[in-house]
Amino acid sequence: MTETTPTDEVGLAVDEEKCIGAGQCEMLEEEIFLIDDDMVIAKVIGAGKLPRDRANVVVERCPSQAISIIGGDSDVDADSEVVS
Amino acid sequence: MADITLPQSPNVTDGSLYLDGIPHERFAELRDTPGLLWHEYDGGGFWAVARHADVKTVSKDGGVFSSAVGHTNLWDLEADALEARRSLIDTDAPDHTRLRRLVARAFTPKNIRRWESTIREITVELLDDFLAKGSGDWVAEVAAPLPIRVILSMLGIPLEDADYLVDLSNYLVEGTAEKQSIPPDAFGNTTELRLLPFNSPASHALFEYGEKIGEARRANPQDDLVTSLVQAEAEDGDRLSGSEYRNLFHLLIFAGNETTRTAISHGAMALADYPDQWQRVLDDSSLADSAVEEVLRWATPVLHMRRTTTEPTEIAGTSIGAGEKVVMWYASANWDDAVFANPSSFDVGRADNPHFSFGGGGPHLCLGAFLARLEVSVLLEEMAARNISLTRMGDAQLIASNFVRGVLSVELAAEART
Repeated sequence: MTETTPTDEVGLAVDEEKCIGAGQCEMLEEEIFLIDDDMVIAKVIGAGKLPRDRANVVVERCPSQAISIIGGDSDVDADSEVVS
Repeated sequence: MADITLPQSPNVTDGSLYLDGIPHERFAELRDTPGLLWHEYDGGGFWAVARHADVKTVSKDGGVFSSAVGHTNLWDLEADALEARRSLIDTDAPDHTRLRRLVARAFTPKNIRRWESTIREITVELLDDFLAKGSGDWVAEVAAPLPIRVILSMLGIPLEDADYLVDLSNYLVEGTAEKQSIPPDAFGNTTELRLLPFNSPASHALFEYGEKIGEARRANPQDDLVTSLVQAEAEDGDRLSGSEYRNLFHLLIFAGNETTRTAISHGAMALADYPDQWQRVLDDSSLADSAVEEVLRWATPVLHMRRTTTEPTEIAGTSIGAGEKVVMWYASANWDDAVFANPSSFDVGRADNPHFSFGGGGPHLCLGAFLARLEVSVLLEEMAARNISLTRMGDAQLIASNFVRGVLSVELAAEART
């Protein structure tokens, strides 16, 4: 793993097939995620970026493993273990 | 299949154990034993998953640990019964994803917040009535009416039916306990009990009620959750079948009131039993959120859920075959000292509280999680605003169930100190 700090900003993406609209992401980071009322799928809104440590929490807490980190030095996909 | 030479779990399924509370010592033994232990049950058995980390592993992997194969309760069902009783709880993706999204809209954080003033109105009325009486059965006076009135408001059902629906829920809970107090043909039921959720004739009554209100909303749509469910059904015939609607309605009524009632009951008992902790909340409003989470952990309204393996796998070094039962004990995970410091202390300031009272973090995460949080949160706020102190007047009457941690009644006294 290349050197990163917990505060490096990373982008986030939602897999629409996996999302069940549970809203954990909206609860944790309401500036970044909103469950769309028509589709009942999480949408990335606003800047769409979070410090890596907070991004890891959202990825970890998504019940359907639908959120992944994009960009940054090392991509973490939703299935990988999040070490906290 | 596992044989009898396997190391055996202490018995954690005998319903009468739970009359005295969660059998914490037995669960501690399970957590402290390396690997998983085999628990005999009803001629077969299951793998008892007791550690927080292992419960999370099972919960998150719905592909290997299925909710649709077998049953999510301990006992097995015949294929026709499983189909007849199948609700959101007993599905895997992609069926689960489709059904979940049909109801999830109403339960997102943003949409749940719209109900805050309704929840507050109901809470204030119940609290003020309880204060006026000074003491009484907290379950009957506050914990039961609060959540049922909220879910009925959301569904668009007249509140005068609340008592009837709470009665039905009570009969359903009996179906998970050792014996039922109503005959198989109660409520005009003619369906074999094995085909009904909780093996209870009350399910027949709840299905009938759901059909009736569904018909009414089909004929005369309203701005409510029942209408959105029956319209989802009407617009695209293969999206929500008649059986899916019935079982979903059943689930919303039952889960929408019974579990939150349990949380509010155990929560109030904790506030009465640990007045120093309640005083901390009164003195420091920044503890409001952590107090809600601690009430939820302390209550653990649902004690376990079962999964069935779809392929050979391994948990904590123990090999598990395909088609075996695996049971996640939330009642154990929420007291796992690998995760919770001093788990047997009720601590309203607990900073990190990843409790599994809404499930172990997988796709079946409680649909009503934000609603339940908001109800508990508003209740604590309104109690704090009145500086209410609660005192126990007697022991709680708990139910003999290894599945839900129901409280039948508990006498409390309330005093507003302002």
